[in-house]
Amino acid sequence: MLQGIRILDLTDESGFLAGKALGDMGADVIKLEPPAGDPARRAPYLGEIEDPERSLLWLAMNTSKRGITLDLGHARGAELFGELVAGADVVLETSRPGELDERGIGWESLHAAHPRLVWCSITPFGRTGPYATYRGGDLVCVAMGGNQQVTGWHDRAPIACSMPTAYYHGGPEAALGVAMALFARLSTGRGQLVDVSLQETQLQTSLSGPAQYALDPSRNAERRRPGDRMGLSREIWKTADGYVSYGLRGGASRIPNLVALTKWMVECGEAPDWLRDYDWSRYNHNLLDREGFRPFEEAFGAFFEKRSMRELYANAVERRFFLAPCNDAREIAEHVQLRSRDFFTTVEYDWLDLALEHPRGFAHASEDGIGIRRRAPRIGEHDGEVYGELGVAAERLASLRREGVVRDADA
Amino acid sequence: MQTPSIDLAPGVFSGLKVIEMGSGAAGPVATRYLAEQGATVIRIESSKRPDFLRVLWLTPDSKHGLEGSPMFAMLNPGKHSVAFDLKQPRGVAVAKRLVEWADVLCENFAPGPMERFGMSWPALREINPRLVMASGCLFGQTGPHRGYPGFGAQGSALSGFNHLTGWPDRASTGPSGTITDSLAPRYVALAIVGALIERERTGRGQYIDLAQVETAVYSTSDVMLRYFANGEVVTRDGNRNPHAAPHGAFPCAGQDRWIAIACGNEAEWAALRRAMGDPDWCSDPKFGSIEGRKANEDELEQQLGAWTSGFEPHALMETLQAAGVPAGAVQDFEALQHDPQLAARRHFQLREHPALGPLQLEHAGFRLSDSPPDYATPGPVLGAHTSWVLRDVLGLSEDEIASLEADEVLV
Repeated sequence: MLQGIRILDLTDESGFLAGKALGDMGADVIKLEPPAGDPARRAPYLGEIEDPERSLLWLAMNTSKRGITLDLGHARGAELFGELVAGADVVLETSRPGELDERGIGWESLHAAHPRLVWCSITPFGRTGPYATYRGGDLVCVAMGGNQQVTGWHDRAPIACSMPTAYYHGGPEAALGVAMALFARLSTGRGQLVDVSLQETQLQTSLSGPAQYALDPSRNAERRRPGDRMGLSREIWKTADGYVSYGLRGGASRIPNLVALTKWMVECGEAPDWLRDYDWSRYNHNLLDREGFRPFEEAFGAFFEKRSMRELYANAVERRFFLAPCNDAREIAEHVQLRSRDFFTTVEYDWLDLALEHPRGFAHASEDGIGIRRRAPRIGEHDGEVYGELGVAAERLASLRREGVVRDADA
Repeated sequence: MQTPSIDLAPGVFSGLKVIEMGSGAAGPVATRYLAEQGATVIRIESSKRPDFLRVLWLTPDSKHGLEGSPMFAMLNPGKHSVAFDLKQPRGVAVAKRLVEWADVLCENFAPGPMERFGMSWPALREINPRLVMASGCLFGQTGPHRGYPGFGAQGSALSGFNHLTGWPDRASTGPSGTITDSLAPRYVALAIVGALIERERTGRGQYIDLAQVETAVYSTSDVMLRYFANGEVVTRDGNRNPHAAPHGAFPCAGQDRWIAIACGNEAEWAALRRAMGDPDWCSDPKFGSIEGRKANEDELEQQLGAWTSGFEPHALMETLQAAGVPAGAVQDFEALQHDPQLAARRHFQLREHPALGPLQLEHAGFRLSDSPPDYATPGPVLGAHTSWVLRDVLGLSEDEIASLEADEVLV
């Protein structure tokens, strides 16, 4: 899809996913890292052997990218970066607003000379506004975006997902902004700035909740209380061996699933008398309060607790009710549906003489595949190749290496 | 072509013609990105089977019926609505006429309906070879569980986000909102824009088969690689992070008020110590390294929480940010309404809804420097644009329209 588009990826881990997705779409993504290696080449390591080349975060999130080293803090590095920009369509970066321009290598400094350039800046709060230079990692962005306050239990602190969801949302959001800017350039001939705010991106996980609150202050969602099974939009139930998700919402699109589950319970002889005769067509969850839900919760809860996640899910698939297991990585890796769609692909690690599975891509496309094009780069793996394409003479590259501007593998 | 009574803002997608079929968030939020940038998005709906968001909070006393759902209105701004009953062959026939007109068709039905309508990709490609069609159901168009029905709550469970969100000593809480409903639309829109860029080169459209669950698992590629490489099953750990301490939400003055603080390196920890006035407990050598703070995290959190509980969260955020500490108030929906950053970036746009009054419409998480986002209207009244589409877009005669009306196709 994006063949012929060259992208310079200067991001830290908050933005790795953006370039990964664009690379999976066929763009030539060149990941820049300091000559000493990127700080995100950290634990956990493949085989638990401490080595920046075995960082699983790096290997997972920088697929479909080539890799070069460059010290942007060095005057000659900044100069060389300017030459790279001249041959690029897109720059992706996650520095604090103003930081690159102080060195003459930011959007403000470069876009006039490169009118076709698309520049994507991913920051916690965006490049404008009173919080533009505020610091924030994933947790701060989730907190400021409104999702943390409503996640967790009422008797404990609000929580965020244990993996970085603001980064997970920000990556595809930034990639989308870049794709839009590239689409616009087809007709205008001009590039533009894509100014991503992780806070705003995170706000959208509440699916208009903050805006609904303005209409109805009772919609200021709360964290769940122990004993609750009903949450705002999700219900998690204990099973014999783990947890499943099942909702008690009605409406035309959901009532058949409540009927299907009830039918199974009746077949098993485990539906209470009242439930056996229940007329689901009259069910409206909006008319029930906590007490009103209780008999449903007790009947379904008892049924679920006697069964395994696997049995419940197999029946959900066959009988078409909306129950899903709360899968962990192992269960996802073994999932028959994902396997049948070739969702996992094997990536070769030639220098380690092994191969590892990875999620293949975010979608299937009929014309030109979306998916991993190459493994993540080793430190400086494509220095010679990329600087060669740029026309940097061998002598100059050698001198840059001696000065530590580009990694010197022999040093 | 005449637009209806509203003026569409110019944008990246001005002139782009989009059909939307389906419901909920995963498809509709994807086309919202297009509508926000000027695309003409026409939703094919029917009062016989309304979008479930239109009825989610419906009770017998609801004043505005299918037009009373703020969530529907907020997730579908800037779009048009036609009412076609696709259970009738003539309804399908007009829908196919619209496919001839369209650049993009985005749908997120569970597999089945599009085939039954005779509107699967092979059929539509015959009608319009330049069409870009995206399907975005929960589990994809192929595989043994393709018919598995589900909404976002199931996606969050299946893709591992429930397992990854919560306290280690309790049942998972799952992330608030439904993670697949906020992740998948970004990827749907990204794939659509990628296909449009490719179409400029090839002249051909293409088909995108996207599974919401796969987009979520793809985003957590690092979690999956940790499993494939080391057999590690990443699990939930409250707010804690293996590479940062302190890293959590800490109590503030007032009821259920919190601040998120995340010190990812020694400089940030030193900045926090200074901001606290370097109390005695901080100088204990056991807190002098990340390893030490991780090993003594309960005590660290208790001491820090005792300090934060004397402050209002926003005031404390200002203090800590000024000192160089990544910190942010844990904002509830009320706080988001007063957030000066969101206001400065015009994250919300106010538009009048015919039944609900002024509504806040949320923008994408990025700004394009040459194309500010704009929605002409909130989500459409069901069927509001049927006659405009039939007359002005498709050029049907008054007799044909009268005949469709008489046969109750336009409902």
